[in-house]
Amino acid sequence: MNPQDMKPQREAWYRSKTFKRFRRNPLAIVGSLLLLGFVLVAFFAPAITAPQLASIRTARPCLRDLGIKRDEVLAELRNPLKPTFWKATLAPPQTCYEIPRDGFSPLPKPPSKKHPLGVSGGSYDILYGLTWGTRTAFYVGFLVVGISLAIGIVVGGMSGFLGGTIDNMVMRVTDVMLSFPGLVFVMIVSVIFGSGLTTVMIALALIRWAGYARFFRGDILRTKAQEFVDAARAIGASPLRVFLKHVFPNAIGTLLILASMDVGSIVLTAAGFSFLGLGAPVGYADWGQMISFARGYILGTAQGTPFDFWYVWIYPSIMLVLFGLAWNLLGDAVRDALDPKS
Amino acid sequence: MFNYIARRLLQIPVVLFVLSLVIMGLMQLLSPQQRAAAFVTSDKQIEHLDQIIEKYHLDEGFLVQYRLWASEVLRGNLGFSRISKEPVLTTVRKRFPASMELALAAFVPIVLVGVWLGTQAATHRDSFLDQALRVMAIVGWSLPTFVVAIWLVAWVYGGLGWFGIGRLPSSLLIELAGGDFRRYTGLFTIDGLLNGRLDIAAEALKRLVLPAAALVIVVSAGIMRVMRSSMLDELGKDYVRTARAKGLPEKTVVYKHARRNALIPVITMAGPMLGRMIGGIVVIELIFNFPGLGEWAAKAALQLDVTTLLAFVMLIGLIMATANLLVDVAYVIVDPRIRYE
Repeated sequence: MNPQDMKPQREAWYRSKTFKRFRRNPLAIVGSLLLLGFVLVAFFAPAITAPQLASIRTARPCLRDLGIKRDEVLAELRNPLKPTFWKATLAPPQTCYEIPRDGFSPLPKPPSKKHPLGVSGGSYDILYGLTWGTRTAFYVGFLVVGISLAIGIVVGGMSGFLGGTIDNMVMRVTDVMLSFPGLVFVMIVSVIFGSGLTTVMIALALIRWAGYARFFRGDILRTKAQEFVDAARAIGASPLRVFLKHVFPNAIGTLLILASMDVGSIVLTAAGFSFLGLGAPVGYADWGQMISFARGYILGTAQGTPFDFWYVWIYPSIMLVLFGLAWNLLGDAVRDALDPKS
Repeated sequence: MFNYIARRLLQIPVVLFVLSLVIMGLMQLLSPQQRAAAFVTSDKQIEHLDQIIEKYHLDEGFLVQYRLWASEVLRGNLGFSRISKEPVLTTVRKRFPASMELALAAFVPIVLVGVWLGTQAATHRDSFLDQALRVMAIVGWSLPTFVVAIWLVAWVYGGLGWFGIGRLPSSLLIELAGGDFRRYTGLFTIDGLLNGRLDIAAEALKRLVLPAAALVIVVSAGIMRVMRSSMLDELGKDYVRTARAKGLPEKTVVYKHARRNALIPVITMAGPMLGRMIGGIVVIELIFNFPGLGEWAAKAALQLDVTTLLAFVMLIGLIMATANLLVDVAYVIVDPRIRYE
């Protein structure tokens, strides 16, 4: 046999025991289906909300930036053959994330033909906010996980690779970061840099990296102790080569999988800040911001009439809870699949 | 043990010192005018910011500023809160009992519910009960605090008319109690009991049920998950088999032998849980109209009241440091093998 043919065969991921355990977990299936639903809603948001874009006058800036006229909206945004469809779906202008307002009445209006889920106070269309809010949710979740993961991998990797004093110092810093309530940190950052969705996202990323750094460092130390690392060192590979070629690729898998499951909890946290008024501005397509309309109606009204404007807050809170649930179901199933003992 | 506690207590000022350095460092990103607000002690002074900037050298270097700020703080002047229109320390003294009462009312049920459900799930592993509890825990973990709070206000308070929201107002307290109501602790439930006025304690408790329930729903799910998996770990160990082989009743094995050991990872979770609880309390106080420190801080953040927020951060630092010390002491009580030198 040719020596070249003797390369170790990697098992295909879909045949692995881990994936089999994942697939057989009914909760994993429910979570995946829910998430698939959210992905579809986010992807087809422009097509779903085309009637709103066509009929509500304040949607004009979005149409202007897309370069279409009001009477062309339905034909353009629901036809995958048109370039505008792809522009609106893949790279919509920021103005499209502003929920169009059908008037300026402070009172919500119940679901009607024109507004299938009703309008909230200030006449913001709720269906529009929910569908485009799905996009905001994915955007916030992925970006925060991405940034904090990048910081965590660099810091945790250095800490595990270098060891010694640096490792000690880094771990003390992460101790402090992990024990300090995130909410308070976001509040300080918002006061100093001004509130907004971007500030909240940066602040969340600045808290989250500590957990990833710690986890990654632990995995690196565990991988470092394995025999193939000793073998690589024994045949004379430099420490940097051993780290980059052998330790790093073997240690990072679990972190990437587990971190990606944090998207849900990040979106829930960010929605909380939007609800408080520190995150997305009023009128932005964000579920937390949409629920904050409810504060006045529920707490302001007398006992006995809390459900007069139910559609204002029940729809977005259901979306938010289902989104968090989808990710947590997946995350739980993934954790179970990775660690058969638990 | 005593030495260890003493040493840890001495560490608390160090933690606060580092925290204050970080805060002051962040403050340097603000303009001198904004920083000046931290030194204002009355409404009138707000009009003379320039004098304050000059007096406290706010346009000078970091070290000069820090020394001056620290000497003010050490003299007990934490600044003037724009939100509550009085010195920060006065507000903290007024509002702390409210938050404390809410936290205490939620803490006991959180631990009991979490530990009990976790034990039940582990002892009935893979049964219907276990599956149901696991799904409940995941759902509970996926519920944002503010959503739970809104649903409770709308359904239970608004729809069913049960319980109450908002803390017992002082004016109502005076009206109910007359002149001879002594405030021992500031916690209305306990004060009511100490004064022998059950009606006041009940009225205060009625208003605590919903906010505390919101916290329990959100926080106990996490404890339950940890408790379940650590209990499963313990039940699979040799000493449990030995205990069963000796013929001990299953109850003794589970509750006396396994559970005590299973509690250790739960205690480790206490720190992150406290963080989640503090975050929850801020949101819940705001929604339930509960005049505690969290509501104050949330309003301060919305109105860019830096002074108030700084005081809040220092206070949280103090609380977290104390809580971590208590966690370490709790370890020793649960597991006598752990020794601190």
